[in-house]
Amino acid sequence: MKQDIVVPKLRTDESKAVLAAWLKDVGETVEAGEALYEIETDKVVNQIEATKTGVLEAVFVEEGDDVAPGQRVAVIESSEK
Amino acid sequence: MLKKPDWLKVSFNEDEVADVADLIIDLELNTVCSEAACPNRGECFSAKTATFMVMGQYCTRDCRFCNVTSTKPEALDPDEPERVAKAAATLGLEHVVVTQVTRDDLADGGAGHMAETIEALRKHNPTATIEVLVSDYRGDERAIDKVIAAKPDVYAHNVEMPRALSKTVRPDADYDRSLAVLDYVKRTAPSILTKTGFMLGLGESDEEIGELLDDLAKVKVDIVTIGQYLQPTKRHAELKRYVTPDEFETYRQIALAKGIGFVVSTPLVRSSYKAAEAVAAVRQRDLSPTL
Repeated sequence: MKQDIVVPKLRTDESKAVLAAWLKDVGETVEAGEALYEIETDKVVNQIEATKTGVLEAVFVEEGDDVAPGQRVAVIESSEK
Repeated sequence: MLKKPDWLKVSFNEDEVADVADLIIDLELNTVCSEAACPNRGECFSAKTATFMVMGQYCTRDCRFCNVTSTKPEALDPDEPERVAKAAATLGLEHVVVTQVTRDDLADGGAGHMAETIEALRKHNPTATIEVLVSDYRGDERAIDKVIAAKPDVYAHNVEMPRALSKTVRPDADYDRSLAVLDYVKRTAPSILTKTGFMLGLGESDEEIGELLDDLAKVKVDIVTIGQYLQPTKRHAELKRYVTPDEFETYRQIALAKGIGFVVSTPLVRSSYKAAEAVAAVRQRDLSPTL
């Protein structure tokens, strides 16, 4: 089933977050617990782990784009429920 | 913005942090982890630990390095100590860290509320060790005595930075007063471990760091944490440099050579990061002769 990848809430204030890098290419498999993309905030670079195993089907955000919590940035096709 | 070095990459797994995050919300509690946008939140929440922040979300002081909001604070919640104690029990914490916002609006700075929190934690978590990270209570010894009387295992108060920077970045606090607080606690209750922390990257010189470590050794602090300052937003104090892990190790060695018993010094160290391990290590080394 398709699984939306949504930016988690990393920060509580108004500071911005940037999707710094995709660590997988479209078509590649990502395992649950493996880092899928990086979000840079003012303080650190967060490596966001996939919570389900699946194939990265599409990404909707380019590296360097600003992102907000709750924003859908990708979709994976996962056999997990 | 300075380019972030590789050692400032952290992992974040939303599923693993969810249990702790949901419990905190359910029990209407605050954590400094979230309020200060701590970079270790993913790691600590995944390991089912958190640092509770009591007495509200709002601080009466406006330090230029800190992400906690400074505004008129809320009234104290008399049920909060019980809720913190329950959350600690639910999480099965063996070492509980509680911090507070500075409450200069209260006569005792919130010391009584902190003492009640320690007592509630003891009742619900009889085998857990308890660490409090508190304000300077404006140097009021009667307020400090209230917290001491509740017998936390660790009494922490952060000096945050060397003397010269303190005047501009921490204008409502006072470097000498912070040292006096640590000195008073150690002299009054030698069996309580004292702990302090400071940040690097605000523009301090090696001489200033040396003086700070000398001052901490003089007041016989048991545990010192040294971590990288990370600028929360552009309106906060400017980040001047990223200190390398090797440099952090050098400062740790300098601190140990000056006679400080236990020092944790790496870029992502925060005052309560791996606090349980620090306390266990200090006790194992039997550095506190009265324990």
